[in-house]
Amino acid sequence: MDVILVMLAGVLVGAKFFPHRFKKQNETLQVICTALLIFSMGVMLGQRENFLEELKVIGWQSLLFALLPAAFSALLVYGMTRRWKRDAEKKEEG
Amino acid sequence: MVWIAVGALVGGALYGLSGARLEAVSLLTQNSQLVLYLLMFLVGISVGLNREVFQKIRRYQLRVLVIPAGVVAGSLAGGAVCSLITGLSLQQGTAIASGLGWYSLSGVMLTELAGAHLGSITFLSNLLREILSFFSIPWVSRHLNFYTCIAPAGATSEDTTLPMMIRYTDEETVVLSVFNGVLCSALVPFLIRFCYRFL
Repeated sequence: MDVILVMLAGVLVGAKFFPHRFKKQNETLQVICTALLIFSMGVMLGQRENFLEELKVIGWQSLLFALLPAAFSALLVYGMTRRWKRDAEKKEEG
Repeated sequence: MVWIAVGALVGGALYGLSGARLEAVSLLTQNSQLVLYLLMFLVGISVGLNREVFQKIRRYQLRVLVIPAGVVAGSLAGGAVCSLITGLSLQQGTAIASGLGWYSLSGVMLTELAGAHLGSITFLSNLLREILSFFSIPWVSRHLNFYTCIAPAGATSEDTTLPMMIRYTDEETVVLSVFNGVLCSALVPFLIRFCYRFL
């Protein structure tokens, strides 16, 4: 919830006070923050006790449980939204 | 961006495995939540700079629920198929998939409910889902549509995978992505309990 509040504060700043000319710098900072977060995630994974052994034992099952739910979700959402853009365009034309 | 992400992940894992302990890295990992706050603030600015996006979202009305519904239904179906392949029960399979990419919470919950083995699978599979969605967003945005980029991200579409959404989709999708993430995150604890106890 706190993450959402922080983001809403950003939305307010972006809509009311943030100069448009710094848009690019804002995006660059986002990339840096993202890279730092992923690096931290990697460090936490690598520091897990018996990480490599754990990966060997439960790795394939975990991979399967990552792949199939993500793929099924993508297929369903794609099936349900593939006409959306066209609908919106038609509405705007009408 | 994808290569930066791969480099950061591999670099981080290698650092962790090496056993080295640098002060700066420890500071970073202990304060990663602050980095996430900063990132969310910056993402908020990006959204706020584009005012038209909220008018577009208003036009969707009840359709904003379509994406989260697809994410949940698809994940549970995927978990059910995985349970058939791995020999786990339907309850366990759907409970693991109910993490929707939120690896920290789902890992802890399944450890408490079903023990360390299932908890570890849950943690790792949801972490892999987050990583997978991170790297699949560029491909999905090019070959399917922008909205579908939200699906693999699941509950993470409101925070960690959001920068990729911003880079590879449009502001409208970013707002839908945040909405989806909030709703999915709220559902995760209920889904895990429900699937593990009642399916």
